[in-house]
Amino acid sequence: MEPVIELKCSLPANYTSLSPTALIWQDVLAQAITGELLAAMNYTSLSEICDDPEEVADALEHAAGENGHAAAFAHEGRKIGVDASNNVHAKHWKRLREAFLRCIAERDFIACLMVQEIMLESFAVASYARVGKVAPGTLGKTFAAIAAEEEDHIGHAMEILRKERAKDEQSFDDKLYRLHLEVMTTLAEMLAKDCRTGHCEVCHGSCVKPALPDVSLSAAELRGASLHQYLKTLDKLGLPGEVTLTWVAQLPV
Amino acid sequence: MGGSIAGIVEIDFALIGHQESWRSAADVLAVLRGPGHTPLPEEEVRDILPWIPPRAVCHVEIASTRGAKVRGVYIDSFIPPDRLGDVCMRDNLARVRGAAACAIKAGAKIVSLGGFSSILIEGNFEQLPERHDTVFTTGNTLTVSFVVRGIRQMCLQEGKDLRQTTLLIVGATGDVGSGCARCLSRGVKRVLLCARNLERLRKLAAELTACGVQVEIATDPRQFTASADVVICAASLASSSLLLDSIAPDAIICDAGYPKNLSPCAAMPDAKIFFGGLGQVTGRMNFVPDLHGILNRHPFPDVVHGCLLEGMALALEGRFEPFSRGRGLITPERVEEIECIAARHGIYLAPLYNANGPLKTALDCRAEVFV
Repeated sequence: MEPVIELKCSLPANYTSLSPTALIWQDVLAQAITGELLAAMNYTSLSEICDDPEEVADALEHAAGENGHAAAFAHEGRKIGVDASNNVHAKHWKRLREAFLRCIAERDFIACLMVQEIMLESFAVASYARVGKVAPGTLGKTFAAIAAEEEDHIGHAMEILRKERAKDEQSFDDKLYRLHLEVMTTLAEMLAKDCRTGHCEVCHGSCVKPALPDVSLSAAELRGASLHQYLKTLDKLGLPGEVTLTWVAQLPV
Repeated sequence: MGGSIAGIVEIDFALIGHQESWRSAADVLAVLRGPGHTPLPEEEVRDILPWIPPRAVCHVEIASTRGAKVRGVYIDSFIPPDRLGDVCMRDNLARVRGAAACAIKAGAKIVSLGGFSSILIEGNFEQLPERHDTVFTTGNTLTVSFVVRGIRQMCLQEGKDLRQTTLLIVGATGDVGSGCARCLSRGVKRVLLCARNLERLRKLAAELTACGVQVEIATDPRQFTASADVVICAASLASSSLLLDSIAPDAIICDAGYPKNLSPCAAMPDAKIFFGGLGQVTGRMNFVPDLHGILNRHPFPDVVHGCLLEGMALALEGRFEPFSRGRGLITPERVEEIECIAARHGIYLAPLYNANGPLKTALDCRAEVFV
C-alpha cells in the first residue's frame, strides 16, 4: 500500500506558539518519515520475490516495523505541534526507490539486501543516532531507539551477505560496487552540505540544512556519520578497506 | 571493481601513519578520487576526513640495493591534522588501535608506527592489540640513528668540533630524546636536558652522570646557565623563540620533533636548522596507487621518516621483531645495529634540508657516514 503523499509548503496554523526550533525538527522528521515509508515499500516489494515463506514473513514484518517507525516519527511531530508530511516521490527518494525496484525486477534478493541494509540503513542508523543525541525529550529518545532497532535489523542481513560473499568474493564485490555507484551517489547528493540540484521536495519551506546548527546538528556531521557507518559495515563484510575508501572518496560532495 | 588493487595478497610489513596537514590529506584524497573527479576543496576534506575509520590507503613495495624485495601496506589512522595534540589523546589512541587492527587483519608480520602514532604508543604499548604473528615497532631506534648522523654531518659541514660543544636536548626524556642523549652525551663537552617531567629528567641525568657526563637539567630551556652550540628538539616547541636565550648565535639545531615546526627565522639568522630523523631509500620504492611524493613530501626522492623505515629495513632483513618497544630503552649498541641493517639494504641518512628547502651543504651523506 502506498502511503498518503502530501507535500506541504505552508506553515502550521499554530506557528506563533511553536518552539523556535520546531520547524527545523519538522523537516528532519519529514526526511525520516519519508525514508521509513520508502523502506516499508522496499520490504513489501522484497516479500514479493521471496520463495521461502519464512523470508516472506520476515520481509513483511520488516515492512510493518518501518511503517511503525514512520508513525512514531509522525507522532513526535504532532507532539511538538508540527505536521511532518512525507514525499516518497521526492526526486532523490524516487531515484533510490527506482534503484531498488530494478533489483526486484531482476529478482535479485542479495542486491535488494545490499541496497536496503548496507546503504540505506547505514544512512538511517548513523543519522538517527546523531539526531537522537541532540533532539530534546521524547523526540530524541524516539530517534535513538529507532536507530538501535535498525542496527539490530542489519545484523541478520549481514549474516546472509557474509555467506553470500564467501561463495564468490569478486562477483559479490562487483555487484556491490555497481549498486554503490547508483545508490550511494544519490545518497551523497542528498547528504551534500548544500542542495545544489534544487529543492529536495521534502523540506517544507527552504532547505533545512543551513538551519541545522540551531539544533546542534550540521549537514556535514550527518554526512560524515553516515559515510563512517557505511565504511564500517563494508569492513564487517570483509571488503578491503583501501578499495572501499576509494569508493567513498569518489562520491560527489 | 572500481579502485581495486589487484595482484597483491600477502604482505610483510605495515606502516601506520596519518597526514600532517590538510593539504597533504587533500592530495591523498585527490589521488584516490582519480583524474576523472575534481579534487575536493580543503573545506570538504576537513569535513570528511575525521569520519573515515582507520584503513589501508595504498600498497608499498620496497627493494633493497641487494635485491631483496618486501611488500607492505600503508594504513592511515586518519587522525585529523588539527587534532595531533594531547587534548585528543583518547580518540587518537583509539584510531591507532584501529589502524593496528587493520595491520593484523592484513597479515603484516611487522608494523612500524609512524609520526604521532609512534609518540602515542611509545608509553602505551600494552594498548595495542595482542597478536603473536604480528609485531610492532615504534621505529624510534632508526630515528635516533638518523638524528645523531645528521648532527655529526652538520658539525662536519660547519667545521664544528662536536667534542667541544654543549648539547641541548629538548624533549630529553622521550624515547627519541633519551636515545639521542645516550648516543651523543659522551662525545660532547656538556649536556643540557630539558623536558616537562622533572622526575624523569633527574633519572636520565643520574644515568648520564654515572658515565662521567656533565649534565644540567631544566623544565624550561630558558633556565639553563650555559648556552648550547648544538640543539636537538625531540619534542615540538611552541615557538623557536623559546630557544633564543639558551643557544649560541650560530647553533646547529635539529628539528627531530613531530610535527616539524622549526624554521630559519630573523631572530636566529646564523643558526643552522635542519629536519632530523629522516632516511632515504636508495633501492626502489613503489606505491599503488601512486602516492609518491604525497605520503612522503620532501625535497628529495624516496625520503621517509626513520620510524617507518625501521619496519621496512627489518622486513628486508627478515627480522620480524619488535625492535623498538617502550620508552627509554634505546642504547648506542641498538642504534648501531639498526643502522647497519638499514645500510645493508641501501637505507641511509637523507640529504639535509629545512623548511626553506635543501641545505646548501646537503651532500651525499652516505659517503662520509657509512664507509
